[in-house]
Amino acid sequence: MQTLPAKALDIRGLTKAFALPGGRSVVAVRDFSLRIEPGEFVTFLGPSGCGKTTLLRMLAGLERADAGDILVDGRSIRSLPPHRRNIGMVFQNYALFPHLSVFENVAYSLRVRKFEDARVRSEVPAALTAVGLEPLAARLPGQLSGGQQQRVALARAMVMQPDLLLFDEPLSNLDARLRVQVRGELRRLQKSLGTTAIYVTHDQDEAMSLSDRIVVMNGGCVEQVGTPEEIYARPASLFVAEFVGQVNALPGRVVARTERQVTIETLDHRIALESKRCPADDLLVLVRPEAIRVSAPAEGGSLQGVVEDVEYRGDRVEYRIRVGRTLVTAIEASLQRRMRIAAGDRVGLVFVEQAVHLLPVT
Amino acid sequence: MRSGRAWVLVVLYPVVALLLALFVAYPLLDLLGRSVLVDGGFSTRAIGRLLADAHVRQVVWSTLWLGATVALIGTTLAALYAYAMTRVALPWKRVWHFIALLPTISPPILMALSLILLYGRRGVITHELLGLSTSALYGYRGLIVAQVLSYFPFAYLLLLNLFQGLDASLEEAAGTMGAHAGKVLATVSLPLLIPGLAGAAVLLFGYSLADLGNPLLLGGDFQVLSSEIYQTIIGMYDVPKGAALAVILLVPALLLFFAQKQLSRRTAFASVGGRGTLRHPQVNHPAVKAGALLLLGGVSLVIVLQYATVLGGATTKLFGIDNAFTLRYLLAAVVDSRDALVDTLLLAIAASAVTAAVGLLAAFYIARTTLAGRGAVDFVASLPLAIPGTVIGLAFALAFNHRPLLLTGTALIIVVAFAVRALPYSIRSGVVAMHQLHRSMDEASVTMGATSGQTLMRILLPLLRPAMVAGMIFTFTRSVTTLSAVIFVVSPHWSLVTPTILSQMDRGDVGEAAALSTILVLLVLAVIHGVPRLLGRDWRTKD
Repeated sequence: MQTLPAKALDIRGLTKAFALPGGRSVVAVRDFSLRIEPGEFVTFLGPSGCGKTTLLRMLAGLERADAGDILVDGRSIRSLPPHRRNIGMVFQNYALFPHLSVFENVAYSLRVRKFEDARVRSEVPAALTAVGLEPLAARLPGQLSGGQQQRVALARAMVMQPDLLLFDEPLSNLDARLRVQVRGELRRLQKSLGTTAIYVTHDQDEAMSLSDRIVVMNGGCVEQVGTPEEIYARPASLFVAEFVGQVNALPGRVVARTERQVTIETLDHRIALESKRCPADDLLVLVRPEAIRVSAPAEGGSLQGVVEDVEYRGDRVEYRIRVGRTLVTAIEASLQRRMRIAAGDRVGLVFVEQAVHLLPVT
Repeated sequence: MRSGRAWVLVVLYPVVALLLALFVAYPLLDLLGRSVLVDGGFSTRAIGRLLADAHVRQVVWSTLWLGATVALIGTTLAALYAYAMTRVALPWKRVWHFIALLPTISPPILMALSLILLYGRRGVITHELLGLSTSALYGYRGLIVAQVLSYFPFAYLLLLNLFQGLDASLEEAAGTMGAHAGKVLATVSLPLLIPGLAGAAVLLFGYSLADLGNPLLLGGDFQVLSSEIYQTIIGMYDVPKGAALAVILLVPALLLFFAQKQLSRRTAFASVGGRGTLRHPQVNHPAVKAGALLLLGGVSLVIVLQYATVLGGATTKLFGIDNAFTLRYLLAAVVDSRDALVDTLLLAIAASAVTAAVGLLAAFYIARTTLAGRGAVDFVASLPLAIPGTVIGLAFALAFNHRPLLLTGTALIIVVAFAVRALPYSIRSGVVAMHQLHRSMDEASVTMGATSGQTLMRILLPLLRPAMVAGMIFTFTRSVTTLSAVIFVVSPHWSLVTPTILSQMDRGDVGEAAALSTILVLLVLAVIHGVPRLLGRDWRTKD
């Protein structure tokens, strides 16, 4: 198990609607197109019902697309049945066969393709070694922990030398600590194998830490495609901004514009930014809570507010600060606090200007 | 599984639907037609005339009265037994459980047989021990004892599951809110259990209605509908009247069936949800323990005495009077009733195979497809749950007694009668097994390159095997022990054990009847315990 094939994937205009009782229908995925490069790790991120799982199942052939095409290295697989697509999939519940040993679970794809026994006996242990489970080959899935089952599912998907690896929320059944550990292993394994991988999740943390690129989906449509940093720092919509973290969305407008700079007024406070970052005159000013520095009123310049609530969260402290009629959230790394702030205190606020992101009001 | 990938199974759908229409719906409609169709028109005159008859009215009342009494006493007994088993700290629970379940795997006429041997006019206890010469056993009271002993274990099983499944955290929650143990029982546990208790009562009522063996042997002058139907057909050859009586019996049976469906829906919310707990505290109070032990021990003693008596009757010259050991009856049973034994075995095995196959297919259509009409398939296939064996047997005998469906006297009609009666259980357990089998099992298989055929053979069938084996054993047990369903369809070519026992008792050959009953019970025990062992471990076994 040195490397796996790295194939490019072209998804073109995939559409899928489900019939509802009563003759109506609901569109699960609408005209979805995306090119995924060989070896890339792409995550479909969105709330439940956004179409991400349907999309994944169409790639695997478990759902039939109403329209569109799927090309692997330029070859269409849309009309192939799932068992001829050579796409490995790790299921949310792992779908390990409870009556087969770990070894036979991993060997399954080789057996049904009638590979000779010698090959099964060399490739299965190699796959199990890659996930660190070789000693447990004789066990039944019911005798393994959740994390071990998860790794068997991964080994089982890798051993078939898939053109593409699909993950359907594979970490959602693990506890929080294990989830972080396994996702690190998953990322390292995928990088070292070099395979192209698509991952579905509703957890933005998972998406951020695993992906080369994230596709944020909502209501069957793409909201934004980008690297984790692009998605977080420069969200294309308020939906994306709110889905991947906390954000202060403040109404604002352009009050002065020169060739290189615009002056924007928000919360009765003016900030100057590069003009190319400003898309319109009526704006939504997005500021992440950790991009707001809380200080003594004198240092805060013109923007001041009254702290309504302080929430200690271990690694960070969250403040709700009333500025006029708006409630602003600010976050500070708790061990880097320069002063103790309590509810009722008057504080000054400073926006980290390069972290301010502007969206047009729609 | 999408229908597109399992086309082989879908092709068989019309075949299964046709079989159900032919062997379940048609005989019942035919029977109904015989009593309400006069010269091609609908008429309730025949039934009306029957109900105007004072004797028939008396029989109907007796049937309902007996059913209600058995339901009440049986449910009480079953509830106490289940409570003692689940909530009281007692020794030897496996023994009490095993003994309580014995009646569920033996023919109900065995109860009548041993009751007669023990408490009849010449009974070992009544006559030999107490010096009485009484026929108090025959009639209403004897039937209550026989039916309660025969059927309370079914209610016990139902309530045992319910008691075990009741979410203990509900009771704990009531306790934390300040309710003492008695208050918890009255305000939380009992209200949750009431639908289940009512369900058990309805179940017992249904079993009492359907029982034929005990009323025939113990009824005396106390006639109920099932024995009245038998005597009308076999004794008086009055087929139209027998059919009309069967239709009358169907009315309470169907009402009970729908009541039970409603009740079982309402018991569902009482069981443990996602995060409940099953760890019920065990009562350790000495008085409660003593009382519970007395109950379990007493009931078990009565049951064991029944079986010991049958064994005694089979192995002594004249049980209670001349207790010299003899193998004569057992040998005679094996030699003289060899045909009945072999036929019963063969036909019950055939029925088990048929039921497993048809049941699995029907379960597949119901649980895993969106095929049109599968609701109707489910309904028709579960009808036999509602219908007393006597009525099914009679409907079969009448519907398949003429061309082109002349099945009277064949083995097929017996196999089908067995299969039809076990099918609802087989489908139910198949549906449950398939619901437990997550769709991602077959999806995982196909993404790894397996065809739908390979998925079926390598994944689905092995995973369904335990449910199938259990279903086949159930069909076998039910088939070899039933009397009511087969009494009208046996023939000189194909004889069966339970009707043979009945005629031996009619002739007074008590020793041979006891010997044959013993062999039957041993056979069933051997199958229940032997077959799973022979098949070896399945995937649920953990080492």
